Amino acid sequence: MKSHPSTLPLLLLLPVVALLCSCASPKKQAPSLTAAVGDKSSDGKSVKAGGDDLEEYDPTLIADPLEPLNRVTFTLNHGLYSIFFRPISKGYEFVIPKPVRTGIFNIFENVKFPVRLVNNTLQGNFKRVGQETGKFLVNTTVGVGGFGRPSDHIPALADVPDADTGQTFAKWGIGHGVYLVLPILGPSSVRDTVGLAGDYALNPVNWVSIVYGGYAWTIAIPSTNTVRALPSQLDIYDAATENALDRYLAARSAYVQFRAEAAKK
Amino acid sequence: MNLRKLLLPAALIVLHGTVSASTAEAEKRLQSAVNDVLAIAGRATNNTALATSLRPVLQTNISFDAMTRRAVGPGWRQFTPDQKRKATELFTTLVIRNYSSKITPGEHPVVTFKAASAPAPGRVEVPTTLLYQGSRYGVTYRLEESENWRITDVVIEGVSLIANYRGQFDAEFKQGGADAVIGALSRSVANPK
Repeated sequence: MKSHPSTLPLLLLLPVVALLCSCASPKKQAPSLTAAVGDKSSDGKSVKAGGDDLEEYDPTLIADPLEPLNRVTFTLNHGLYSIFFRPISKGYEFVIPKPVRTGIFNIFENVKFPVRLVNNTLQGNFKRVGQETGKFLVNTTVGVGGFGRPSDHIPALADVPDADTGQTFAKWGIGHGVYLVLPILGPSSVRDTVGLAGDYALNPVNWVSIVYGGYAWTIAIPSTNTVRALPSQLDIYDAATENALDRYLAARSAYVQFRAEAAKK
Repeated sequence: MNLRKLLLPAALIVLHGTVSASTAEAEKRLQSAVNDVLAIAGRATNNTALATSLRPVLQTNISFDAMTRRAVGPGWRQFTPDQKRKATELFTTLVIRNYSSKITPGEHPVVTFKAASAPAPGRVEVPTTLLYQGSRYGVTYRLEESENWRITDVVIEGVSLIANYRGQFDAEFKQGGADAVIGALSRSVANPK
């Protein structure tokens, strides 16, 4: 049996990623949608049908030279979500009561603290380094090991934007490279796949096998981490792809826009 | 100091006053629309019924004409008036269904309105926070003034509804023009997934 579903594909992909990084030319970033807002008639009102507002949105947000391969992976993932991950997610939601699920979710988010700490440091955002440290201390102590999130009730610590390695690269001005659909993990890009490797290394959940080396823990902890995130991950996937004309294109656009927003925060 | 220099600050103040007034008007309009939607959603029992009961409110408050032509892009110029009407009609149904599917009937999310901005005259963006089942989502509404203020885009966690469809419409249009766009829309409307 495989250990953590999200680790194996990542390791297999690293050589491919290195290759793609070396040949990918810098690509266009997701445009600021408000940047095109100036296209208006002189009276300042909305331009009427057939006017200049037709070019307000850019249809190609990311280069996708691997589209045929990406589409195959996307279809396989879609099937895998339906027949494998969705039943697990439903079962988890059925068996574990909501407050406990929220608590488990919170514990793993809290443990991910080094990912946010290191990336906020690399981004030079020391205010957030302080906020994250405060959040971690409050939630670990008052929140009993991160089960609760008392930090949400402290205005200075509530709503601190997430930080990850791909976002750090984006803030450093590194473009996506090309679009990639990863097995199981879904939409990504060359940049964000390298970022995922960074997040993986920084997440203590994945240190268990190094520290303890025990087979059971190596499977149990990362697997719980995957399952606890499944319901919300599948919800995001559904929200992005339902009612689409083409699920693949809908997911690609949603991914690029979502990551552009994360880089702005 | 000449007269122009004296008048410039005054002109800016007047302009600022106008922008703020229209921003406030747009915010008021949005708040009333969101409250209507929440009231209907709170009473609904399932998503299909919700889509039906939301339709009149959404048609009053959303500019589906602007949404459709922007989602199609420059290809819109090649649509005949009949194709434009058909595409708008289908896209309206799809957007209403899409929007309704994101709301769980009977739930009572808490919406907080944040300070609005005016990126251009006649345009207002209102960021909101949606607290829903313990999670917080950032939802920004873009409004434009034509006869009155109407929503032209909904941006959830940075993902614009119209930008999301723009790439899909573009691919269809490149393959088979207006007919392909309308065909894809018809299939999507007929087969909810």
